[in-house]
Amino acid sequence: MNDDAYEGARLDKDDVVLKTTGLEKAFGGLVATDDVSIEVDRGTITGMIGPNGAGKSTLFNLISGFYENDAGHVTVNGEEVTDLEPHERARKGLVRTFQTPRRLEGMSVREAMLVGPGPQKGESVFSLFFSGSDVTEEERANIEQTRELLERFEIGHLIDQPSTDLSGGQMKLVELARAFTTDPDILLLDEPVAGVNPTLANDIKRFIRELNEEGQTFLIIEHDMPFIMDLADPIIVLDQGKVLMEGSPDEVRSDDRVIEAYLGGAGP
Amino acid sequence: MSAVSSWVSETLVRDATERRIFAVLGLITVLLVAGVFAGVIGPRFLLFQIALVGMYALLSLGLNVQWGYAGLINFSVAAFWGIGAYCAALLTAPNSPLGLGLHPVFGFLAAIVVSALIAVLIGIPTLRLREDYLAIASLGLAEVIRAIILNERRWTAGSSGISGIPNLMSWLPLTDAATTAAIVVVLIAVVYLFLRRVHRSPWGRVLRTIRSDEDLAKALGKDTYRFKMQAFVIGSVIMAVAGAFYAHLNLYIDPSDLVPLTTFYIWIAVILGGTGSNRGAVVGAAVVIAIREGTRFLNDIGFIQTLGIDLAPLRLLFVGGLIILIMRFRQDGLLPPKDELIWPAARDGSRSGGASPSSAAPDGGTAPNGGDDR
Ligand SMILES: Nc1ncnc2c1ncn2[C@@H]1O[C@H](COP(=O)(O)OP(=O)(O)OP(=O)(O)O)[C@@H](O)[C@H]1O
Ligand SMILES: [Mg+2]
Repeated sequence: MNDDAYEGARLDKDDVVLKTTGLEKAFGGLVATDDVSIEVDRGTITGMIGPNGAGKSTLFNLISGFYENDAGHVTVNGEEVTDLEPHERARKGLVRTFQTPRRLEGMSVREAMLVGPGPQKGESVFSLFFSGSDVTEEERANIEQTRELLERFEIGHLIDQPSTDLSGGQMKLVELARAFTTDPDILLLDEPVAGVNPTLANDIKRFIRELNEEGQTFLIIEHDMPFIMDLADPIIVLDQGKVLMEGSPDEVRSDDRVIEAYLGGAGP
Repeated sequence: MSAVSSWVSETLVRDATERRIFAVLGLITVLLVAGVFAGVIGPRFLLFQIALVGMYALLSLGLNVQWGYAGLINFSVAAFWGIGAYCAALLTAPNSPLGLGLHPVFGFLAAIVVSALIAVLIGIPTLRLREDYLAIASLGLAEVIRAIILNERRWTAGSSGISGIPNLMSWLPLTDAATTAAIVVVLIAVVYLFLRRVHRSPWGRVLRTIRSDEDLAKALGKDTYRFKMQAFVIGSVIMAVAGAFYAHLNLYIDPSDLVPLTTFYIWIAVILGGTGSNRGAVVGAAVVIAIREGTRFLNDIGFIQTLGIDLAPLRLLFVGGLIILIMRFRQDGLLPPKDELIWPAARDGSRSGGASPSSAAPDGGTAPNGGDDR
């Protein structure tokens, strides 16, 4: 595909939560992210698709600060976060999940969930000794929130299970629930239904939609086309590290360049 | 009495295997005490061994904070121990190169401050990097500290060591051996209670998360560097306190104990006891020391004398054999961690269940705020 075909994303949105400008990342000679500028509007579920190796996860890693970018900027709610550490970006409201489920060895589901809210008073050794009752109060509230959220996601019965004993789909659900407890401004989900059975995938779709209706903004990478086409609007298409186009599910579905990118693979 | 037994059953002994382990340990204790009354074991000797076990238990508790809680690989246990021991010896022994002869309190304070400082200095460049960097740096630190103590004779008396370290609290109406044994018990109790509080808390939970997946902790907004630094400093300070205590137990200190073997024993104790478990660290230390000290006497047993082989140098072999047995039959160590890291006061109100999460069948909360405030 020639370079003119890369139309780029829409950059004229009203209420931008997340914005990248000219992000670049190369691994040796391989340019994984090539001048990526995108905007995510508050309150949307924005999808991100693209063939294998298009650079979607790399872009997430750049946005969330896990990779250092070669050039470009990231802003959250208009605030520059390009030089911040991953945990500082998370505190600014930018929270991501990972493509492969993260296993918390030796933790129950309840514990794994309780890592989410933050910063907690009980995370300071000093408070543990000098304001124990505040810690108790906050911990109680968090336990209660965990219980409600798991019940809402219909996995309340798993609360005592070892978090490593869950099915892939249940793990994804716990990750989604936990990420939500951080009270993020935007949630970045990397393939939330990869390897999840269709029933559970449908549940996950329903929960994401519910959270979105309550105001949660999402940016979601997903290979499962019916899933993402049904859930997200707009959808950003990435190919060979560049933004190919952005549009509604229908526009994306009928775009020749998108079809070519998927059929042509990495070819010219 | 029932309060004590319920505390024991909820806090120390969690299942049948653990009951057996504690029964064996109890039996050994009874035998040792019986040995004292039968005149086979000198009471002074036994008290010294108790103090020694206690000191190793402190070291294991320290390493458990670093490796067991946070997954930090520290190969300089002996160095932090030595820092503590030398702080105490140099400040309190009248004939040390410094010749100050201060009160032991200052030795302990210096041990805490110096070890914390050195832990921070090692932590700053390494804790932001991948975990192996701390391992390498700490290996280096151990040798550097040993080399400094050996070679800076002007300050440390080098290989001739420092003698004349005073006893602790000799005004107590007990023999010196009984006093040191009592002190180590108190030290362990204080450290244990401190660690129990900080471990079963949001703080301990973040460390456990870092241990299994640091990126996840970062993605959830946790400043993992800060948490790792705190765990590293707390663990190192506990090790230095153990060292300062040892100086006052042995009344003499030289650099010969600052070898990697000491670090190795502590690692074994933590792994054997159950990585991440405070109870395990204490029990693991007791087992390792029992083997190390016990094998000294194997040659005195008539039957073995007739075999004509020297068994004492084989003690590492026994330790190795024990590790293989444990790994074969109890992979997670003797007393692996059982607690959910949740602030205990918060769970009583929000759950109706008891202390053990697995026994409360499907969903712990039937009565949201049932009135059982144990
Ligand atoms: N840490 C890394 N080091 C070297 N190359 C990398 C690294 N991470 C990603 N890449 C390369 O960058 C390109 C983009 O990878 P990325 O994982 O971002 O793709 P993706 O769009 O997420 O693909 P998938 O759909 O398979 O998850 C690939 O060619 C990949 O091999
Ligand atoms: Mg990917």
